[in-house]
Amino acid sequence: MSFFRYQLPTIIVTTCGIIMLLAFFTPFDIFTTIKANLTQWMVVIASTSIWLGFLYMCNAQYHMLKRNPTRSQKILFVTPFAFFLLFFIVGISFPKDTNSPQYLWLFNNIYSQVSMTITGVMFFTLSSAAYRTFRASSIDSLALILGGLIYTLRLIPMFPYFIPWLVPVGEWLLLVPNVGGGRGAVIAAALAAMAVGLRTLWGREVVLKEG
Amino acid sequence: MKFKLNIVFLRSGTYLDLVLLIFFVIVSWYFMRKAVRGEKLPKLRHIPAIEAITEGVGRSVETQKPVHFEMGVSGGQLYSTLVSMTLASLTMLRHIAKLCAKYGARLIVHLPYQAESIPLIEATVREGYKEEGKSELFRLDDLRYYGQGSLTWDQGVTASFSQDGVGLNLAVGIFYSDVTIPLEMAKIKGGMVIGGTGRWIMVYAFAMMCDYVFLGEEIYAAGAIVSENPLMLSGIIVEEWGKFFVLVFLAIGFILAAIGLNVGKLFAL
Repeated sequence: MSFFRYQLPTIIVTTCGIIMLLAFFTPFDIFTTIKANLTQWMVVIASTSIWLGFLYMCNAQYHMLKRNPTRSQKILFVTPFAFFLLFFIVGISFPKDTNSPQYLWLFNNIYSQVSMTITGVMFFTLSSAAYRTFRASSIDSLALILGGLIYTLRLIPMFPYFIPWLVPVGEWLLLVPNVGGGRGAVIAAALAAMAVGLRTLWGREVVLKEG
Repeated sequence: MKFKLNIVFLRSGTYLDLVLLIFFVIVSWYFMRKAVRGEKLPKLRHIPAIEAITEGVGRSVETQKPVHFEMGVSGGQLYSTLVSMTLASLTMLRHIAKLCAKYGARLIVHLPYQAESIPLIEATVREGYKEEGKSELFRLDDLRYYGQGSLTWDQGVTASFSQDGVGLNLAVGIFYSDVTIPLEMAKIKGGMVIGGTGRWIMVYAFAMMCDYVFLGEEIYAAGAIVSENPLMLSGIIVEEWGKFFVLVFLAIGFILAAIGLNVGKLFAL
């Protein structure tokens, strides 16, 4: 049993990983072709598993309704399914499917509008977090405030006019400490990712094993 | 000065990548062998956010509010360059599931839209409960799926914060700009917020909105520490060796550039 649950998946992962590495490092077309075929499998798995997600969503909704069988919960239960059916039926009922004017009307007037509202909410959450962050409670936060102020004020024409050094200092902050720190962090994260990748290829990744 | 190197069985432009890979393979093999033999590995530095997780779970139990875990709307990537972050967040999920089982806190997991990762996530949570001998506490309906896109995910997560309450919100994984809403909403709802991502560009959001943050690569180190597994810890030491390797290359590049060589062309071999 453990062969099918642990060793076989490890063998598949390692084989696929080695093929991917060979496709990257060697100029032979065969590996590129195999890689392309394997990548197609990912699309198949991803598109079929969306129904699995749908089942999870239904299960959670059903249990929430069972725990709290109030009128508002019933409305919350029915609404997503009603919209799902509406989009699904309109999507398959008209010529050109999801490119039909009927479906596009639904998409542009319902989905996009709600999506933009969420983006608007993001602005408010950032503002409230910024208010909390930009309080000079320590030396670190003071440095953050000064850096942020110089960086922001240099973009407002009035300030560089009266304080000309804001522009070079702001540019220096952007191009030297910011880029240096960012590159260091990216390199470190990439190295850590490589270590995880190698551990997975060797079948030593603990999270993929049973306890 | 021109640098030209042609090896028949290697794609040009990948020679240095291969050197780095071989270096990593050798160092990984050496330290994994040490770990398997039970030899002593160097000690890792203390990360405050790890202890804060236990504190947050305790706080959730006291306030009778659930613990929320999210790995991002796109946090279930199993076949991209970010897959290592998915694995790091799964290690953290297993840890939080164990803690919740141990202290009796309710755990709500907000699933990413990549439904193919759901079996892995479910198994990770089940394993966490099983390891603590409390499999009966696992609730399938506390794994919440919201479909594709940050629009539905953000709404689903924040609605859950409002309906169920938040004791602790742990967000570790692959995050994009949409993460600001759940992080801040958890804070507004009175929850403790701990999180981090390996995506450097989004670390600012975690630094601003979290009580405790894992900075970039710290998510991998934290995953290794909480797993308490020598093999995982050996991976962090391998990473440190990689840093030395990069530093050596930086020093070589600095010297070569100082004597007038075209370092860009040399390193692009």
